Amino acid sequence: MAILRYLGGRLLFLVPQMVGIVLVGFILIKAVPGDPATLMLGPMATPDSIAKLRGDLGLDKPVTTQFLIYLKKLAHGDFGTSWQTTQPVLEDLKVRFPATLELVTFGLLLALAIGIPLGIVSAVRKTGFLAKLGDSYGLVAGALPDFWLALILIYVFYSVLGWVSSPIGRIDITMVPPTATGFYTLGSLLEGNWAAFRSSIQHLVLPVATLGLINAGPILKMTQSTMQRMLQSDFSEYERLCGLPERLVMRHALRNALPSVVTIVSVLYGFLIGGAVLVEIVFSWGGAGQYAVQGVLNSDFNPVLGFVIFSALFSLVVYFTVDLVYLAIDPRIRH
Amino acid sequence: MALAQGGVGTEAAAPTSPAPILEVDDLEVAYHVYGAAPVRALKGVSFRIAPGEILGVVGESGAGKTTLSRAIMGVVPAPGRIERGRISFLGTNLIELEDVELTARRGRDLSMIVANPRGELNPLLPIAKQIANVAQVHLGVAPPRAREMALDMLRSVAIPDPERRMRAYPHELSGGMAQRVVIAIALLCKPKFVISDDATSGLDVTVQAQILELLRTLVREKGTSMLYITRDTGVAANFCDRIAIMHQGEIVEEAPTGDFFAGPEHPYSNLLLAAFAHDPALRQRWSAVAGEAAPEMTGLGCLYADRCVRREERCFREHPALRPVQAARFVRCHFPVER
Repeated sequence: MAILRYLGGRLLFLVPQMVGIVLVGFILIKAVPGDPATLMLGPMATPDSIAKLRGDLGLDKPVTTQFLIYLKKLAHGDFGTSWQTTQPVLEDLKVRFPATLELVTFGLLLALAIGIPLGIVSAVRKTGFLAKLGDSYGLVAGALPDFWLALILIYVFYSVLGWVSSPIGRIDITMVPPTATGFYTLGSLLEGNWAAFRSSIQHLVLPVATLGLINAGPILKMTQSTMQRMLQSDFSEYERLCGLPERLVMRHALRNALPSVVTIVSVLYGFLIGGAVLVEIVFSWGGAGQYAVQGVLNSDFNPVLGFVIFSALFSLVVYFTVDLVYLAIDPRIRH
Repeated sequence: MALAQGGVGTEAAAPTSPAPILEVDDLEVAYHVYGAAPVRALKGVSFRIAPGEILGVVGESGAGKTTLSRAIMGVVPAPGRIERGRISFLGTNLIELEDVELTARRGRDLSMIVANPRGELNPLLPIAKQIANVAQVHLGVAPPRAREMALDMLRSVAIPDPERRMRAYPHELSGGMAQRVVIAIALLCKPKFVISDDATSGLDVTVQAQILELLRTLVREKGTSMLYITRDTGVAANFCDRIAIMHQGEIVEEAPTGDFFAGPEHPYSNLLLAAFAHDPALRQRWSAVAGEAAPEMTGLGCLYADRCVRREERCFREHPALRPVQAARFVRCHFPVER
């Protein structure tokens, strides 16, 4: 019962959190120099026409009024329009956000598949090939820029070996993208469209490999250091004193290490929604990060704010889920 | 040095005494820290424990008590290493055993009751699971049977409402309850030999008395032998059959409890008792001479010489051996206190 009340409280708290995030986002964007009216009308525009457009866009009103207008529209599900794509921002994000989400989700899954086992092995073994690999991996992965690795992967696997199709976009341009779920892989599976599925996988492989290889670094480091601490902790020593086999001691240590790993994964997940933008650009992914960066560069406020709201909401959902996971793992929090 | 470390093992063997459960002979453990000389935590410790006997090991912090208990259990903490000696348990030298074999015996044939059990239990597993794990691993019983055994064990360590406590997590237990759980785990497989490492030190006096009473009953009922490590001479006096005093990794005096408390012979034993007596005059009498600069230690003599009130020139030259002074009574001193 206490748990339900706690969770309900957390959910209720989401609303003021969101309003706060929108406010901060709005102020920051307004603080960035740049006038959309000038950019929209181009270099030949007259001051009069610029002033008129500013009036039409509501840019001549005080910032507080502009914010209230934005909030009011937002309450009705209107995220405004992007002047670059001339589309409603909500429509744009409905396509682009899942694109990024698909990329980042698979990237993180790969990172977990690499980072956790290597982290455990390097925590348990002091010597041997795997321990050395685990030790050096964290260093190397932390030092490599993701876009650079992306280019290397493209060079090796597309240009030299030709194992993957051309690294542009999410699916072969001649194909009709599947519409269900927004994830091309899931969507094509649901529609039973094998050609589209194969093509979307082909396009996913390299960017996912890039994100996975880079982000396995922090996951590995966190797993390794927490596992080491847990294996030396009093309760592990006690389990050894009780004569429990090392395999069981390790399993229990891993469970105690899990909350830290979950934390780093949730932080990475929220961060990568915007942080994967360089990888998106290299692969012309057409994701949400690219969309937001274009918006910032061209004083296109609505896409930027839309992106901020979407990714904030996503992060909040992730953190909320993480809290549920903590509750499931650690009985001490249940009080 | 080596000559001085006479093993009690052989000397103590009275012809009538039954075969000992545990026989530690000339055990030396050193901690190897990189870039420094190894620290010898145990310098040739020898003793034996008969079936059903409780040997109390008393000494101040850093005397090597915990190292001794961990060495017997085969889990010397990280930079530590057993340099030499024998730990003979029911005739088997534990030091020579393979890891797998030792792990299988640990917790089954010989077990340990730890201090601060709330920090030692796994925070994420319910009590029932932690006790049952030990039963499953060591006795090979199925989970339902292991659970039953856990419940029985919680009953026998007098935990109120054991069914409910089974589902509890360590953080939901009081210190005394957690101590009982750890005792339950230690006695679950009916081991022949149990070590208690300062197990009741963190508890308040009433709970401590209850736990000691419980331990004594359980140990007597099952004929278990015990190594009872403590800093509290009062507890040792009430609880143990024999007392061994440890100082800087050596046993400096060993005697039956009654004889020992009737008249400790080593100057250090006297200081230790004086410290617990809350009598400043008595403590003063056994503390190192005030005003006199501490003499330089040569490394050859008695390790207690710099603090001793009875030291003579010989104490700095010659390391005393642990020698018999009466039947079953040993002291490591050139000039023991005579009564």
